[in-house]
Amino acid sequence: MIGLSSYLVLAALVFSIGLFGVLTRRNAVGILLGIELMLNAVNINLVAFARYNGDLIGVIFTLFTISITVAEVAVGLAIVIAIFRVRRTVEADRLDLLRG
Amino acid sequence: MTVETVGFWVVAAVLLASSLAVVLTPNLFHAVLYLAAALVATGAIFLLLAQPFLFAVQLLLYAGGVVTIVVFAIMLTERLVGQRIRQTSRHVVNGAIVAAAVFAGIAGFLLRSPLATPPPGPAADATIAIGRALVGPFAVTLELLGVLLVTALLGALHFARGEE
Amino acid sequence: MTLNVGLPLLVLAMPFVSFLLLAIVGPLRRTGRGAGLVSIAAIAISFAAAVFVWTQGFVAEQTWTWIPADGGPIATVGVLVDPLSNKMLVLVTLVSLLVQIYSLAYLSDERPAPLGRYYTYQSLFVFSMLGLVLAPGFLQMFVFWELVGLCSYLLIGFWYERPAAARAAVKAFWITKLGDVGFIVGIVLLWSATGTFEFTELFEKAEQSALAVPGLALIMFLIYLGAVGKSAQFPLHVWLPDAMEGPTPVSALIHAATMVTAGVYMVTRTEPLFALVPGVLTLIAWVGAFTALLAATMACVEGDIKRVLAYSTISQLGYMMAAAGSGAALAGFQHLFTHGLFKALLFLAAGAVIHAVGTNDIFRMGGLFRAMPQTGIVFIVGTLALAGVPPLAGFFSKEAVLGGVWEAHLAGPFLMLAFTALLTAFYMFRVVFVTFFGRAHAGGHPHEAPWLMRGPLWLLAALTLAYGIWLALHGGEPSGEAPAWLPPLSIGLALAGFALAWAMYQRGAIDPVRVAAALAPLDYLARRRYGLDALYAGLYRGILLGFSRLIGWIDRYFVDGILNALTALTLRAGDGLRHIQSGRAQDYVYGVAFGVLLLFVWAQVWR
Repeated sequence: MIGLSSYLVLAALVFSIGLFGVLTRRNAVGILLGIELMLNAVNINLVAFARYNGDLIGVIFTLFTISITVAEVAVGLAIVIAIFRVRRTVEADRLDLLRG
Repeated sequence: MTVETVGFWVVAAVLLASSLAVVLTPNLFHAVLYLAAALVATGAIFLLLAQPFLFAVQLLLYAGGVVTIVVFAIMLTERLVGQRIRQTSRHVVNGAIVAAAVFAGIAGFLLRSPLATPPPGPAADATIAIGRALVGPFAVTLELLGVLLVTALLGALHFARGEE
Repeated sequence: MTLNVGLPLLVLAMPFVSFLLLAIVGPLRRTGRGAGLVSIAAIAISFAAAVFVWTQGFVAEQTWTWIPADGGPIATVGVLVDPLSNKMLVLVTLVSLLVQIYSLAYLSDERPAPLGRYYTYQSLFVFSMLGLVLAPGFLQMFVFWELVGLCSYLLIGFWYERPAAARAAVKAFWITKLGDVGFIVGIVLLWSATGTFEFTELFEKAEQSALAVPGLALIMFLIYLGAVGKSAQFPLHVWLPDAMEGPTPVSALIHAATMVTAGVYMVTRTEPLFALVPGVLTLIAWVGAFTALLAATMACVEGDIKRVLAYSTISQLGYMMAAAGSGAALAGFQHLFTHGLFKALLFLAAGAVIHAVGTNDIFRMGGLFRAMPQTGIVFIVGTLALAGVPPLAGFFSKEAVLGGVWEAHLAGPFLMLAFTALLTAFYMFRVVFVTFFGRAHAGGHPHEAPWLMRGPLWLLAALTLAYGIWLALHGGEPSGEAPAWLPPLSIGLALAGFALAWAMYQRGAIDPVRVAAALAPLDYLARRRYGLDALYAGLYRGILLGFSRLIGWIDRYFVDGILNALTALTLRAGDGLRHIQSGRAQDYVYGVAFGVLLLFVWAQVWR
């Protein structure tokens, strides 16, 4: 029986997988891919709730989230490219200038 | 087994498989392609949840825009180095444990809370309602979103200019 | 304010005014001789007023509130004028006046600034002593008691660049302070038992037998301890010989006539209270007699002329205390008065000798009578008075003391005091013979002292003689029923001592060295002051310095140790925690994930 919980569990799984990607990927772009997956999962959550509660708030929220995510990806990749220009690497392990 | 049930399980399987592939494949380029697949699968989920408008938006922005940007970025960073960027993962076990724990936590919440699963009624087409909402109660938010996009554009431009 | 109160206040105020003037007006003080003249003028006025008060027999009491409280003031200041205090006023102002005049010549080769400082201290001392004498209660007496002690410190250590003088001043302060601790404890205990410091109230209570307080004996013993310190009774007598490091006029004033007599004065003043505790009185008598004997033995082997006189002072103070302890306090006070006169005379004459010859050692002097006949004569007058030869004043007062001790049936003290009388004559004439007669030593041009020094000497000698004759005619006080054999006994003892000294030192008939060998153990102990000084020094070093070393160790390792441990801990913790900041964003995401997990756990468990 497909219910709300099915969608929520699916979203949770995708979220965890995205988190795994953020934690383990070496390349900065790879980390950004993980973030994309997490945001995706959030969207699934929102739309599922909207459908099962019967109002549109979730959907509109999702629209906004998608837009903002696009902007964030753009700026993030611009930063990655800028860093690459200076440091000649995008490996996350090497980017530790704020080390204590 | 209704159509919805079958469709759900198929799309879910595709989504999960491609997500795993995104985070596990060593080749970054392949990872981006798998991400595209995952984003399309998500759009299919939206269809299952009776939001065709969102499906369209997802395909346009995500699967179209974001994937394109990322591919460009990979090509740029790859080209400057002159070789295919190898993608390897670090501390896989730690990450797996933490991610699994987070999932367990969320699932725990889900199991405890009484989520009624009455099949929702037939869904009306929401597109008109969405449009009305966007220029109605959410007009301010829409405008702010526009401001945000302009800011992002400016930021990206600034970074793109480099050291001139 | 009546004249009865106003004049004594004038006596008290003049030296204070002089002190203030000299202390504040720097240029006046630094003129040296100018400061001296100011101080002398002030005390001359005081002396004149004191004589007037004494001859007119003023009696008065006046107090002003110092610390107010409900139900009567806690503390007062004021004056208590009666025959006892009046006589003391005269003694103090007279001797101070003569000493200050004498000092102009004795310290004539001091630079002006130190000389001004000297007279400032002298004025302060006279004021303190007079305040003590006129005190109507224990509290004011204690305040001035301490002030007198301070002046003693300042004046003993007048030549403070000399290490011996500085040490002697500190030693005097410390030892008298030991006694003062007992004094203040006793005063406070007495106050908590009776509610008052004032003498007149306490005496009234004593008369009405309202003072049957448990532990009164202990309280009076503690109060007596103050006198033990100040009046150099055994065992707190060790500071007096060292105090001779100060200038000779200081020794004459403070350590012969005034400050050391403060203890005797206090015991005499509060005699109605001591009469309630006969046990303590007997102790006072025994300690006094023992002190007299002990000091006399030490004087017999001493070669420094000032030290001999210092031991002699301790010995005579023992006499006075023994008299007070025997219930014959007025006899003791009379001896205080006469002793003040002739001991000051002896000290000042010794000062003249030292000034002329340049050394204190009597065995480096000799045959000085030829060069300084006047000084020799007055010194011999003083010696005769001290030995107790009639018709000089010392004879009558010493006989009164012996009579009082005999009357109280204190056989032990009587025997000790009698033997001491013999020793007194002996060691004084020993000094006379060795210093003024015999072969002259080469070196130095001994000359007669200047008139500023000789004047006070002659005056004191004349007073000693005149007062003695007056006592002979008027029977002295108290005219008790002393046994008839007492006067011949005391004269006999004096003559015996004289004869012994003459035989040993003038005629050479008995060799002093062989006598010393015969009495070897006693001689050994006496020369080393019976080890008391060493004992005190050892105790001081051991207890005090040991304690301070312990405290220092605790401070260094405990207090500082805790601080150092804390700092080191903080530094090391910081060093360790530093590694959390890896600079890698992914590690921070781990942190966020952990935080979220914690929140999950908390939310789920708490529910």
